[in-house]
Amino acid sequence: MSNTQQVDEVPLTQRIRENPRPLAVWLAMGAVLIALEFGAVFGFAADLLSVVISLIPGNPLPGVVSFLESLGSSIPTLLSRETIPNQGYFNGSGYENTFLGLEPMLAWLVRVVLVYLYAFLFLGWVWNGYVRFRRHYRYADWTPRDDVVDRLRSHQWGQFGLIVVFLFVILAVFAPALGPTTVEANILNPYSHTVQFWNADAGAVQEVTVGQANLQSGSQGSGTQNVGPWTYDDFGRFHPFGTTTNGKDMFTFLATGARISLSIAISTMVISGFIALALAMVTAYYKGLADLLVVVSSDSIQALPQLMLLILLMVVFNQTWLSEFYDGALLMVMIFVFGYWPFLWRAIRGPALQIAEEEWIDAAKSFGQRPWVIMKKHMAPYVLGYLLIYTSMSLGGIIIAVAGLSYLGLGINPPTPEWGRIISDGQPYVATQSWHISLIPGILITLIVTGFNAMGDGIRDAIDPKSAKGEGDGNTEAVAGGSGA
Amino acid sequence: MSRWQYFLRRLLLSIPVVIFGTTITFMIIRLGPLDPAAAILGPGQASGPRAEELRRQLGLTQPLWEQYFDFMLDMVTFNLGNSWVISSGTPAYELILIYAPRTIWLGFWSVLIALFVGIPLGFYAGLNPNTFSDYTASFGGIVWRAMPNFWLAIILVSVLSQSEQLIGWDWKTWLITTPVVTPPRLGFMTEPLALITNPSESWPQLLGAIKQIAPAAIVLGSSSMGNEMRIGRTAVLETINSNYVETAKAKGVSNRTLVWKHVFRNALIPLVPIITGEAFLLIGGSVLVETVFAINGIGYLFFQAAIQGDLPLVGSLMFIFILILVGTNILQDFLYTVIDPRVGYDES
Repeated sequence: MSNTQQVDEVPLTQRIRENPRPLAVWLAMGAVLIALEFGAVFGFAADLLSVVISLIPGNPLPGVVSFLESLGSSIPTLLSRETIPNQGYFNGSGYENTFLGLEPMLAWLVRVVLVYLYAFLFLGWVWNGYVRFRRHYRYADWTPRDDVVDRLRSHQWGQFGLIVVFLFVILAVFAPALGPTTVEANILNPYSHTVQFWNADAGAVQEVTVGQANLQSGSQGSGTQNVGPWTYDDFGRFHPFGTTTNGKDMFTFLATGARISLSIAISTMVISGFIALALAMVTAYYKGLADLLVVVSSDSIQALPQLMLLILLMVVFNQTWLSEFYDGALLMVMIFVFGYWPFLWRAIRGPALQIAEEEWIDAAKSFGQRPWVIMKKHMAPYVLGYLLIYTSMSLGGIIIAVAGLSYLGLGINPPTPEWGRIISDGQPYVATQSWHISLIPGILITLIVTGFNAMGDGIRDAIDPKSAKGEGDGNTEAVAGGSGA
Repeated sequence: MSRWQYFLRRLLLSIPVVIFGTTITFMIIRLGPLDPAAAILGPGQASGPRAEELRRQLGLTQPLWEQYFDFMLDMVTFNLGNSWVISSGTPAYELILIYAPRTIWLGFWSVLIALFVGIPLGFYAGLNPNTFSDYTASFGGIVWRAMPNFWLAIILVSVLSQSEQLIGWDWKTWLITTPVVTPPRLGFMTEPLALITNPSESWPQLLGAIKQIAPAAIVLGSSSMGNEMRIGRTAVLETINSNYVETAKAKGVSNRTLVWKHVFRNALIPLVPIITGEAFLLIGGSVLVETVFAINGIGYLFFQAAIQGDLPLVGSLMFIFILILVGTNILQDFLYTVIDPRVGYDES
């Protein structure tokens, strides 16, 4: 696929210039999609910028960030709670402040459906881009990667996994727009926000702080103290997943929790994947002492019981400055990376050693190619596929481990939403009518872990159809099992 | 390299692993920001003459390398030291003796349940591929494995505690009356002969202990059960489609001999790492499962020691875990060496 092989090959830009139409159509579609969500994109970029600026000592541009953020929120966005509001109230004859005067449940549903529709359109757009590239701009009619894609297209179990993971990722990415209410108003500062509601006894619309409303709509099992899934509370607020023990909206809580779990899992896997890949390259290329050193250190880390190592590190670093960043998420990622890279490295060490024996490596060495380039260009691409399999299989294990740690009261600092904490909160009420508090997060975790495992299976079968054999499989299974949380 | 040379090399390699693993533990508990003096005296008293005195007594004022050598020497000679916080002054060895039997009992049953449910189910699914029962078993195994242990434990505890109201069947009084949570009574372990000499009293006790541990064991064994099932299925499928089974079939070997002699033995090989890998899942998972089921076993002890800053106990427990896990790895290599003649021929 590299375009330096053939003499008469023209660069990609020239190929596009000769036939610009497919690309133009594709870009136009993309522009429409992005324009619909421009406010959110802009807001995200502003947030990112503010993080970068806050890292610069001295805070040079205090006004710029707040200006950008206010600008971002003033741009209309299709899929926002402002465009399709669901937090209205009943005024005795109809709904006010909701989308088209629909009842809050329907208004919320409209928004959720639109968000997912948009997400799938976006996915379709990306796929369409690949197809267009394949048909109009690529020289080769066929590359090995096409086979991988085709195999994945006929792998239903893997597709099921991909879809579950995609739904989950969208839940995390669009968490602020998907929740019936916001984390800020409902969970963090409920007493600085108010809701209006129809008081049937008084026959009038009244106003109350969110905190007070929450106090009276908690789910605590007995009698009237329960707001189950898919119901309204006494204040006309719709709760798709019911409320938590202290009356906060479960769906908002879980969507934000998904964001945190997923960011921890993905950043852990990306960082430990990099470490594993770099070490695998070095050990496979140099072998000998380098290999032995990494074997011993990875074996030593693996000889420590995973979950207990995580607990111990969590406790030891709990009160330090490290646990301040992102409510402790940074610390969690660092600890998980420390515990997980040996598994990944172990998994790709075999393939890396095999690649290092290939003839083209010898050839590259013999004409004096630098080791760094050999590793990067001639070895890494062949190992990357295996790494992808193992990382996608480990993601589920990390999500379970994060939940397990926060169940024990370690990890993400309250009040930031985390799935394990809500399971622990709901523990006393599992067998009562407030069963939803513990049950729903658990089912979601099961679903997403199944999804990640299925996706891993699909990628494995797609990348290497022969790999589904005994011992190699055993490794993936062991990884997928997680740390016993 | 011959098989036994390979095994010997693995054996030798485990020595630096134990040493290095213990070193990591030392680094975490002594170099980390956790202050043992503050943990013993309580919050807000980390400075002052009493804390200084305590530090001197505990040997924390010595140079680090001296502390390190003392620690390693103590560990290697099994001088596990005393607990500082949890049960001040009690030797760690004694605490382990008190707490460990419950975890061993739990681990024993969860391994047993996983083995005797997971492997037969997997083999059954592999022998009847692409049937309805295969799909049911496979899908069940996948979902079963994806469920977080602690969540499963919570659900099970809640349902069993109120099984009368929920499903009309009372778990607590079924067969023998036992509470759902709280540790099982393992008095019979100290005098196993009582099972013969005094059967009327000891057998119900044994039964009660088994019944009490069963839910926790099912939860703890769940993920390995799912693994064993899936691996078992693939392994059987693979051996069934291999040439030597075809040959055996062609020369007229009976179906029963074929399955037992040619398929099962070979299908067991890939299961070895999964079975030994259970040790990892069990030790790690014991923390959460024991917390939910209120079984004060060794995982619970470790968790309490860790959150209360009982450093010597944490270090000693970690060392024991390392020994167990490295021992299991050696066992795995041994089993491989015995079962699989190909071991040592591929270097990876």
